[in-house]
Amino acid sequence: MSEPMLSVRDLEVTYHGHGGHVPAVRGVSFDLEKGDSLGLAGESGCGKSTLANALLRLLPAGTEVSGQIILDGKDVLNLTPGGLRAARWTSGAIIFQGALHALNPVQTVGEQIAEPMLVHQTAASDSAARERVVELLRRVGLPAARADSYPHQLSGGQRQRVLIAMALACDPLLLIADEPTTALDLMVQAQVLDLLHDLKEERDLTLMFITHDLSVLTYACRRLAVMYAGRIVEEGPAWDVFENASHPYTRALAAAFPTIGDEASRMAPSGLGGDPPTPDNLPQGCPFHPRCPLAHDACLPAEPDLRSSGLERSAACVLV
Amino acid sequence: MTSLAMQRRRATAGRVWKQFRSSRSGMIGLGVLLLFVLMALAAPLLADARELNPVYARAQGNPQWAPPSEFGPLGTDYIRRSAWAQFVWGSRISLFVGLAATVLTILIGSVIGIIAGFVGGKPDAVLMRITEWFLVVPFLPLAIVLASVLGRNVWNIIFVIGITSWPSTARLIRAQVLTVKQRLFVDRARSLGASGRHIVGQHILPNVMGLILANATLAVPISILTETTLAFLGLGDPSAASWGKTLEEAFVNGAMVRNAWWYFVPAGLGILAVVLAFTLIGRTLEEIANPRLSRAR
Amino acid sequence: MLGSVLTLVFVLVFNFFLFRVVQTDPIGSLFRGRNVPQETLDNLRVAFGLDQPLGTQFLLYLKESAQLNFGISYQTRQPVWDEIVAAIPATVALVGVSAILSAVIGTIGGIIAAWRRNTWKDHSITSGTMVFYSMPDFWLGMILLVLFAVVLGWFPVGGVSTAGSNETGLAVLIDQAYHMFLPALTLTLAYLGEYTLVTRSSLLDVMGEDYLTVARAKGLRDVAVRNRHAVPNALLPVVTLTAINFGFVLSGAIAVEAVFSWPGLGKLTADAIRGPDLPMLQALFLLFSAAVILFNLIADLTYSWLDPRVEGQ
Repeated sequence: MSEPMLSVRDLEVTYHGHGGHVPAVRGVSFDLEKGDSLGLAGESGCGKSTLANALLRLLPAGTEVSGQIILDGKDVLNLTPGGLRAARWTSGAIIFQGALHALNPVQTVGEQIAEPMLVHQTAASDSAARERVVELLRRVGLPAARADSYPHQLSGGQRQRVLIAMALACDPLLLIADEPTTALDLMVQAQVLDLLHDLKEERDLTLMFITHDLSVLTYACRRLAVMYAGRIVEEGPAWDVFENASHPYTRALAAAFPTIGDEASRMAPSGLGGDPPTPDNLPQGCPFHPRCPLAHDACLPAEPDLRSSGLERSAACVLV
Repeated sequence: MTSLAMQRRRATAGRVWKQFRSSRSGMIGLGVLLLFVLMALAAPLLADARELNPVYARAQGNPQWAPPSEFGPLGTDYIRRSAWAQFVWGSRISLFVGLAATVLTILIGSVIGIIAGFVGGKPDAVLMRITEWFLVVPFLPLAIVLASVLGRNVWNIIFVIGITSWPSTARLIRAQVLTVKQRLFVDRARSLGASGRHIVGQHILPNVMGLILANATLAVPISILTETTLAFLGLGDPSAASWGKTLEEAFVNGAMVRNAWWYFVPAGLGILAVVLAFTLIGRTLEEIANPRLSRAR
Repeated sequence: MLGSVLTLVFVLVFNFFLFRVVQTDPIGSLFRGRNVPQETLDNLRVAFGLDQPLGTQFLLYLKESAQLNFGISYQTRQPVWDEIVAAIPATVALVGVSAILSAVIGTIGGIIAAWRRNTWKDHSITSGTMVFYSMPDFWLGMILLVLFAVVLGWFPVGGVSTAGSNETGLAVLIDQAYHMFLPALTLTLAYLGEYTLVTRSSLLDVMGEDYLTVARAKGLRDVAVRNRHAVPNALLPVVTLTAINFGFVLSGAIAVEAVFSWPGLGKLTADAIRGPDLPMLQALFLLFSAAVILFNLIADLTYSWLDPRVEGQ
């Protein structure tokens, strides 16, 4: 069996800010094989964006990161600055969330897409870069003329496509999509999802898809991991986890989002009371137990580890 | 004011003080300011006022331009007066004019800003045009022109500074009033039948107070520096000893050529210290009023 | 643009009425202390239109202003405009150079301070500029003058050129630059602070933006992220500030020019105050205001040209 494209072991990320130490990611491990797709789901603050940023070491200075990240055969956490810069965007690229803020307002969209090509010298000249930009824009469904537009002149959906085109600029092996469909209306969401699907097939990309919307992941990904309070609490094949969640949190999350096309789930949504815990204020034992409908005494003493809950599945719950 | 409202005000004041105390720069500024205020208040104890009188000074038999020596901790000036006395007594006028002019600035600026923001419409447009005019016209020449025309006394100077400095305060206050106005509770108060005056007094003012206070503290340095410059150019009150006037006298009577540093350096240092103190206090108050600023700094 | 013209008109109106209120007898003031027959004075009053109603006088004032006729100086008895024109180059040179230097040095300082936020570099730059910003600029000039000209003798004590020298060409320029060094240093140090503070805070705002993380993710070096993405966005307000400050070039150095006896508009103003030479002050005020209005307009136009988010006027 060949090496996985991405291998993460015991990743821990702690922010050091005015408020003190904030453990955003508390021991995450997973593998992602070449050509596979993994969805990462969870509510705001569970650590999924932190995890994505950590993969390319994009966290603010002073953040404590420990563990191991092997991407495309490279030990990311121990790369030299030069090696890290070379690996960024070529081994792995991120489609950032919040398209308006992710684009420089005073540069044209074309300049921003071309930039990594020139930095990594994957384009021989400015005109070659320009050609590639036009190619990429066409591929994501935008007219070539858009290359000379400024970000504020584009619609939300168009900006999202620009971010996708930009992420593909250096033909990355791993594509990390961080909330690519959030804040888009449903029609555009579907278009973007289809686009990502097609691109993945065409270019044999390895895909990591981050979102808080569980139902979207069942379309986009083969495997699914659910994060809560900085850890993975359930993992397995996407449809399987969605239909038959082992962890109570996953069950609640799946129920909260009506499945596109499933009338029955639209009629009976069930929300989850309360808010996820803030990283600096975690409950004793299982971090989910205050909101868990199945909580009982065994949940208290210690945080449960991931344990097998079926074929290729695992969940971090004492009931498994 | 109900006792509940008073309790709330006191609690807010307590919180603000606690936050202020934790700022090192703010406390340094406050300390320095208190030092100078004490000096100004205790002037009669620190230096004999008679020493400001050239006739008395001559009678004392002091030499002219004496460096710090037995003739005084800061020596003497061109007409034998004690430089230390001028420094101590000068602080009074400099501080007084600075504070009084700022009060005037804040009063005019706040009233105009609140009216423009709250009433809106035509009055707003007119007031803003007037404000913009004042902002465009260069501030020091305007002050010079007004001071030349009005004559040289302390009250005119206070008036001139106040009249030329209010625009930026007005703009700031107006923006804040507009923000507060947008908040729901003002609409609710209106729908409850509250009068305009009630809304302004009970809702708008408390939310704008913090900004006014911070702005006022930051406006004092401008007033002090303007008074100093006007006095230096000869527009100050001839009978009022201020630090600016000391600098003017030093310049006009050749203190520089004689390297009589003891005469003009302390006055400038005094201004520098007081201005810095107000700036530090003002920036700290700004950060308390708008917590996003401290993260941004 | 219409707003600017309107403002200028208001300045003219203000100027006229303010001085008419004070100048109860301009002719009398002009010839104060001289033995002039009453008839001559009366004839002059008629010639200057002072027997006309206020409205007519105002129109006369507008007409004369348009012709650049601002009257006669009380102090020198020469046409005001001639004196002003003679003084403009000295001020433009001094304050222009200082404005450019302070903008460049101040902006660079602000960039470093923001990028290396909360390090000793940041603290020293921020504190240093705050101190210079808090002192009267002319007092700083006095100290520099005493220290470097009087005590150390490295620089001249004042003026724009060495008296009695008959050098020509480049030597003259060098001599003038030599005389300009201390006053320019004073003004540069005094103006720096504003640029440093504004640039620093603008860059700090930008530094929190996501597109900088994106730039890093693309593999750019830290310096490239700063220079290609952060700084261009941060500089927008600084450019506006610079343009506005250039408007204040003419009026920016009144007290400092006085300290260094620099023969520019500032010294003219300082001397006019001592009179008071009201026609001179009136004309200077008009000139200063016009310069500020003009550069505010330029600042607005420059900003809308630079920021693609602002629709063109």
